[in-house]
Amino acid sequence: MKKIKQSVLLALGGLLLSFSVMAQNVSLNLVNVSVKKAITELKEKSGYSFVYVSNDIDTQRIISVKANDLPSAINQIIEGQDLTYEIQGKNIIISKKRPKAIAGVSQPKIVKGYVLDENGEPLPGATVRVGNTSRGVLTDIDGAYEIQVEPTEQLVFSFVGMTPQLVNVSDQRVINIELAEENNELEEAVAVAFGKQKKESVIGAITSVDVKELKVPSSDLTTALAGNMAGLVAFSRSGEPGQDNTDFFIRGVATFEGNTTPLILIDNIELTATDLARLQPDDIASFSVMKDATATAVYGARGANGVILVTTKRGAEGPVKVFARFENALSAPTRTVQLADNVTYMKLANEAALTRDAAADLLYTKDKIENTGKAGSNPYIYPNNDWYDMLFNKYSTSQRATINLTGGGKVAQYYVSMGLTRDTGILKVDHRNSFNNNIDSKNYTVRANIDINVTKTTKMGVRITGNFDDYSGPINGGSEVYNQVMHSNPVMFPAYYEPDPAHQFTQHILFGNYGLATYTNPYAEMVKGYKDRNRSQILAVLDINQDLEFITKGLSASAMLNISRLSSFSTSRYYKPFYYSLGYYDSFTGAYTLDEINSSGTEYLGYYPGAKSMTNTLYTEMRLNYNRTFGGHGLSGLLVFTTHESLIADSSITSLAKSLPSRNAGLAGRFTYNWKSRYFTEFNFGYNGSERFAEKHRWGFFPSAGVAWMISNEDFWKPLKKTVNTLKLRYTYGLVGNDNIGSSADRFFYLSSVDMSDSSRSAKFGRDGGSSYSGINVDIYANDNITWETSYKNNFALELGLFDKLNIIAEYYTEKRTNLLQSRSDIPSTMGLTAPVRANIGEAKAHGVDIQSDYQQSWGKDFWTAARLNFTYARGVYSIFEEPDYAEPWRSHIGQSISQKWGYIAERLFVDDAEARNAPTQNFGSVYGGGDIKYTDVNNDGVITAADMVPIGNPTTPEIVYGFGLSMGYKGFDASVFFQGEGNVSFWIDAASTYPFVKETQLMKAYADDHWSEENQNVYALWPRLSVDVNKNNTTRSTWFMRDGSFLRLKQVEIGYTFPNHWLRRAHIDNLRLYMSGTNLMTWSKFKLWDVELGGDGFNYPIQRVVNLGVNITLK
Amino acid sequence: MMIDMKKLNNIFRKSWGYTLAILTLLSTSCNKYLDIAPDDGMATLEMVFNMRSTAIKYLYSCYSFLPYEGHASSVAMLGGDEFWFREQVLNSPSTYSLNSAAIQAIHFARGEQNVTSPYNYDWNSLYQGIRYCNTLVDNIMAVPDMDEGEKKIWMSEAKVLKAYYLFWLVRKWGPVPIVRENFDVSDGIETVRVYRDNVDDCFDYMIELIDEAMPDLELMEAGDDELGRINRVVAAAIKAKIAVTAASPLFNNNAEQFTLVDSRGVQLFPSKTEAQVKQRWESAVTACKEAIDLCHEVGKGLYYYDGAIRADEHIIQELTLRESLCNSWNKECVWGNAQYYVSGSGNSSATSHLTFLSTPNLDPETYPSFLHMRGWDSFGIALKIADQFYTKHGLPVENDKERADVDPYELRTVADIPEERWYMQAGKQTAQFNFDREPRFYADLGFDACLWFGPNISNPTPDDLYKINRTSLTANTPWITGYMCKKWSKYNTRVMSNTTYSISPWIWPNIRLADLYLLYAEAINEAEGPNGAHSEDLFNYLDAVRTRAGIPGVKEAWDTYSNAPGKYQNQLGLREIIHRERLVELAFEGQRFWDLRRWKEAREEYQKGIFRWNTDQPGTAARYYKKTALFFQTFTLKDYFWPLSTATLENNPNLVQNLGW
Repeated sequence: MKKIKQSVLLALGGLLLSFSVMAQNVSLNLVNVSVKKAITELKEKSGYSFVYVSNDIDTQRIISVKANDLPSAINQIIEGQDLTYEIQGKNIIISKKRPKAIAGVSQPKIVKGYVLDENGEPLPGATVRVGNTSRGVLTDIDGAYEIQVEPTEQLVFSFVGMTPQLVNVSDQRVINIELAEENNELEEAVAVAFGKQKKESVIGAITSVDVKELKVPSSDLTTALAGNMAGLVAFSRSGEPGQDNTDFFIRGVATFEGNTTPLILIDNIELTATDLARLQPDDIASFSVMKDATATAVYGARGANGVILVTTKRGAEGPVKVFARFENALSAPTRTVQLADNVTYMKLANEAALTRDAAADLLYTKDKIENTGKAGSNPYIYPNNDWYDMLFNKYSTSQRATINLTGGGKVAQYYVSMGLTRDTGILKVDHRNSFNNNIDSKNYTVRANIDINVTKTTKMGVRITGNFDDYSGPINGGSEVYNQVMHSNPVMFPAYYEPDPAHQFTQHILFGNYGLATYTNPYAEMVKGYKDRNRSQILAVLDINQDLEFITKGLSASAMLNISRLSSFSTSRYYKPFYYSLGYYDSFTGAYTLDEINSSGTEYLGYYPGAKSMTNTLYTEMRLNYNRTFGGHGLSGLLVFTTHESLIADSSITSLAKSLPSRNAGLAGRFTYNWKSRYFTEFNFGYNGSERFAEKHRWGFFPSAGVAWMISNEDFWKPLKKTVNTLKLRYTYGLVGNDNIGSSADRFFYLSSVDMSDSSRSAKFGRDGGSSYSGINVDIYANDNITWETSYKNNFALELGLFDKLNIIAEYYTEKRTNLLQSRSDIPSTMGLTAPVRANIGEAKAHGVDIQSDYQQSWGKDFWTAARLNFTYARGVYSIFEEPDYAEPWRSHIGQSISQKWGYIAERLFVDDAEARNAPTQNFGSVYGGGDIKYTDVNNDGVITAADMVPIGNPTTPEIVYGFGLSMGYKGFDASVFFQGEGNVSFWIDAASTYPFVKETQLMKAYADDHWSEENQNVYALWPRLSVDVNKNNTTRSTWFMRDGSFLRLKQVEIGYTFPNHWLRRAHIDNLRLYMSGTNLMTWSKFKLWDVELGGDGFNYPIQRVVNLGVNITLK
Repeated sequence: MMIDMKKLNNIFRKSWGYTLAILTLLSTSCNKYLDIAPDDGMATLEMVFNMRSTAIKYLYSCYSFLPYEGHASSVAMLGGDEFWFREQVLNSPSTYSLNSAAIQAIHFARGEQNVTSPYNYDWNSLYQGIRYCNTLVDNIMAVPDMDEGEKKIWMSEAKVLKAYYLFWLVRKWGPVPIVRENFDVSDGIETVRVYRDNVDDCFDYMIELIDEAMPDLELMEAGDDELGRINRVVAAAIKAKIAVTAASPLFNNNAEQFTLVDSRGVQLFPSKTEAQVKQRWESAVTACKEAIDLCHEVGKGLYYYDGAIRADEHIIQELTLRESLCNSWNKECVWGNAQYYVSGSGNSSATSHLTFLSTPNLDPETYPSFLHMRGWDSFGIALKIADQFYTKHGLPVENDKERADVDPYELRTVADIPEERWYMQAGKQTAQFNFDREPRFYADLGFDACLWFGPNISNPTPDDLYKINRTSLTANTPWITGYMCKKWSKYNTRVMSNTTYSISPWIWPNIRLADLYLLYAEAINEAEGPNGAHSEDLFNYLDAVRTRAGIPGVKEAWDTYSNAPGKYQNQLGLREIIHRERLVELAFEGQRFWDLRRWKEAREEYQKGIFRWNTDQPGTAARYYKKTALFFQTFTLKDYFWPLSTATLENNPNLVQNLGW
């Protein structure tokens, strides 16, 4: 406790050694003010800054000053205190008067050195002071200092915003010091629920992420989550900008019912995945994932599926520090679906018709097939479109800029940031239109975190955050454009015609179509208009913290109020395209006429309002905190009371119940105790109330507890400490309740819901049906026994640190969720109920392993390397599931993964019709024969029915997610690579969506090359016998279209160069780094048709490969 | 150390004390915060029976489960063997405005029924209907602002509806569990896992319900607003139908089903003595008689055209026949179904949808490019159904002496004589098949060279009538079988212009009097043969239907023109005559489907195959009039009943699956 209170510099600017002449003549006339006030006044008038050690000077002392020049003003201010001063540059350094050291005890000597920051950057203006004396110097522009000091003395190095360091001089001549940022106020602190805890004292399963790892060149932060965090399962199914694409779960999915997404907290405010996606990585101070019962306990019911806790940066005392980052990225699809050429398309379309019905009409004439795409043939008679090429550019660009300012004084500190990201899509634009139909997605963020010291013991925090999306894009979204391209006939009509003589003065584009213009012209659909979508999220937080030391030491209380408003709306504006088909065509002259084939076209844009939504949230939180150490006993306590209310107003509100605000409330507590940082124990509880249950079940009590043993802090471990720096065992067990069950329609389980005017229950009577009433329907049967879903979580963990280089945290967990809400499947339909009866019957179990490890090694002064590895395995299975008493054991869900799919076992394709006739009947509603899929009659009853469906493949949510990376640096250069992978996951090619020719679906090259045909009767071909209609025999879920979804991806590569300091100094730039990064550069997977992460429907907006160039600058 | 521990204890104790105090405080004050649902604001089922104005909605809801009858989505319409369809219909149902039930019916007709998700599986909704009826019966007496009489009427309506829902269940699944009273949602699982009741108990319970209800029902509707509600006449008619069905071979001592036994050993189709079988028929005779008498009492009778149009007697005969179905609430309509009435010219549901599906391009010469209607090229009537209609002598083609030497596929030119020129276009060639048929043939069917009364004018000449020609069809949209259903199209349905088409909607009769007459005749013949106590009634009612159809009575027809005179004199011969009469009179009304089943004649009929004219070759008559195969249906023992779906069986292991599934 002898630690010297930090010295603080007031408003020490970067222009420390400015040569401008300061006003020596100042007049100051103050009566009965505090020293502090006088200093402030003088500072304002003179432009001089004061430098002092806060312990040395009593700033509360009341004085009067009447002076006309600087020295007398200073003298009057420090009068009566045992102080002296010295003017250095524009600083007035005040220090205690000390008696001169007694000569002869030891020889004073000169000590030299540099004061650097963590990155090795020099710190100009840092204070180097001798022990408890007033003697001190400031470092120069290179961070160098020189001071006369006795060997018995100590040197104190300090700098604003950094943790001071104390060094014994002894016989050292050169002392180089690296000061660490004060952000890490408790060295290696971990953000825990409602606070921070020393890393070594954490018992619960909490993974913190190095924020630097999240800086991917994407406007969607969540795309960086997979593989970066042990315990988090994440995957993206589309690459469309501005959409929220990533699904993520903490420790997999452990319930087959209701909500599975984790609680997302940004500065303790409950927000959505969308808000997380929009967060600027540069704003993040810490990012933690809380996984077990004790870690999430104080969040109560909200944290049942785990918690993601993000805190944003806060202001720090000190001069303004400006940080800016600019990035520009190019993105292109990682892989595009290969389509067959148009001639093949037509040939195979004919084959599809004839192979099923020899008498069928040919879909395309020989003439058309021969002339399409032939040099010199007219594209109006023989349309030959490559829709993909026509609609999409090769790449798109995006820009990102963030800038933030940190600083503050003793009274208030601020962190203010602004961010702008702009993504464009890869759609082409028709310049005959006056508008832009391409995706242009902009996001703006403004954040101000301000902390005010109201009194010595009272702090107030004000945080205002605004996040705004301005999206403009095609009417139905980018994915739909992609979808239309894949489902449009390429040879039926051209995208548009050049005007014929009759239409040469026509103002509109002459789009092509056929027949009654009922076909999709994807080009017309894309360019006909655009959609605007806006989303605004505004959040205001007021936070008051009162130190209650006057009651007992270590006690404090705080309260927080958060109000937020989220609103969104969209508007579409488009014209109705005019469609034309070719009328007369003269093949000699090339003259042609066009016929307008729809009468609904418009030349003007129509306006079509879209969805509007508004969400209001009010959150309050009251906390009582206790934290104290008595000798070897560390003790802390926390009590939190929270209420949360949200109200949504949009078109989904269709009933009184849904129109009422949702509320929950809870009291939670945490009590920890440790002895000499060796033995740790913790008890938590959540006492939660939910509006959704009947009064008798409204409140649930969910306790949890944990113990930990820091073996490496034991005395007997000392000999091993060098090799095994850390060895810690942890175990927690606890209950977590969840009321977020059922669907949004199930507001109150204890109340029935009766629709008093249900049109489907109406009847009509009378001569012309004139007597009519809409009827009555029971939508929900009341059940006041429905209660909390409860999970029982165990967590075992081992933390190991070796050679100061390698750190490993390995955790094993089990979870049992009981009381899962399920529809009673055994209620016979003869009861005639109009809604399912539900009860807390189900049970699920989960277990898994999270491993997080990193390794660091320096090779001399300039070269360093680091490696990291994260591994997550999570498997959740049904353990009690009410289901019919199946005769076939394989149909039961018990013991199967929660996202397990059931399907038929496809053996191969039928050799011929005769074989199909003689095989067990496959009744899927389509005629089948040779070349169609043959399924196994698992139960041998002679027919293929649901009873023959068995669990096939792996779950659809990956069970294994891992990531590993390597980074290195040499002097200013740095480079890193990060790989990410997923395993134990299956998906099914969406045969119905990719079905060639049906609904004008395009033909994938892979299908064209490898399908069963009469000439090539390959019973193991990729695609069964062609057909012009969906053959349901082949599209039912089976092993035929099942694919392995595992992959390994080169997720991120980055190369950077940080310019040496001395180059930048003159431009007043503190730090400048240029970097280039690439995302999704390579993928290894067994699946080749499209990017495997898209899953079953490859006809979706492709996942993007991004190359990014960026620069970040810090100014002081 | 000791001191420290004490301190700690203290702190712990204190904090626990605080915690407990706060907990108690919170759970009281916060309960209020969480008790967000307004106590009286949420609708409950109890509220329904607080007022007449909401109770009546519940009564209407009870009716809402009535299966679709006069609608394309009824399995009895498109799921049988009367119609056939182009396969493309299955792939683009929306083009034809067909809902999923209609599409399912088509799959059903193709023999694609399955157990995993059976087609037209309304098991659940029928039981929901029964639950609604039970709820109404249980609660209606509690409504404060209704008089006793009205309460009883509503309760009785619910009882009859319940019987009718059970009737549908039994027709489809045979013996089913009877739910006399509702189970409570919280009843134990063993209680609610019911067994199937035997088929006789099912029918007895239906009759019991209707008998209970009849005395409390009003004889007929109090006003126009109640048209379509159940009254005593309707109840009696429903009872008659149920009684005849109960006596029919499918349900009455059906030996083929004797092996259907549940896990308790209960035989679901009980074996019976000859006397017991006969007794069922005798009850049916009584029930039919009672229903017919009540109908007569309220002034119902067979319909004869009584509208404003004056025309040749052939046209009037056509109008009589077409309007007996399409004239809403005509005197023959015993129980009309107002559910599908759609005003205006929509084609989305209802009888207007049937019209939409069945109407040809009515005026192809004026509007040759009128592609709006899609029904006519994709739906057609099987050749065997067209052939089922009598000759002009009221006899099956094969029994008419005059037709003995006629080749039905031979071409013949329509002569300009009254018997022909009002039905077909004089001078046009068509097959012998279409000549010399009974008026119902021409009133119910549209075909190449036929005429179609459409213009709503008096004294039309044959030239004023709409003409149907195979040649007006383009090669891309050939007519599927060559016969379309004129019967479904009200006469004033017409083409207004190139883009508008006026459909006159009408009320579908669930039961019409001719149906009851024929049921009565059938029951008498089965109970006592042609010469029993009710012999006079038997022939009178049979002949009443025939006379209205413009053909001679049974005795006259068979004795004068047939190659088998006196066929009606024995029970077997008369049975064939009555069955044929029902099939013709009630063709395309969703009756054949059930009749063939209850008579156990479906297997034989379905073997006949679906044939058509060679409609792919409309160019010349010689090519066109070739009997061409379209589809061969199959029908086996299992097809007499629907399967119970796997899910239904899995929910309740006490239910036993029907034979063959």
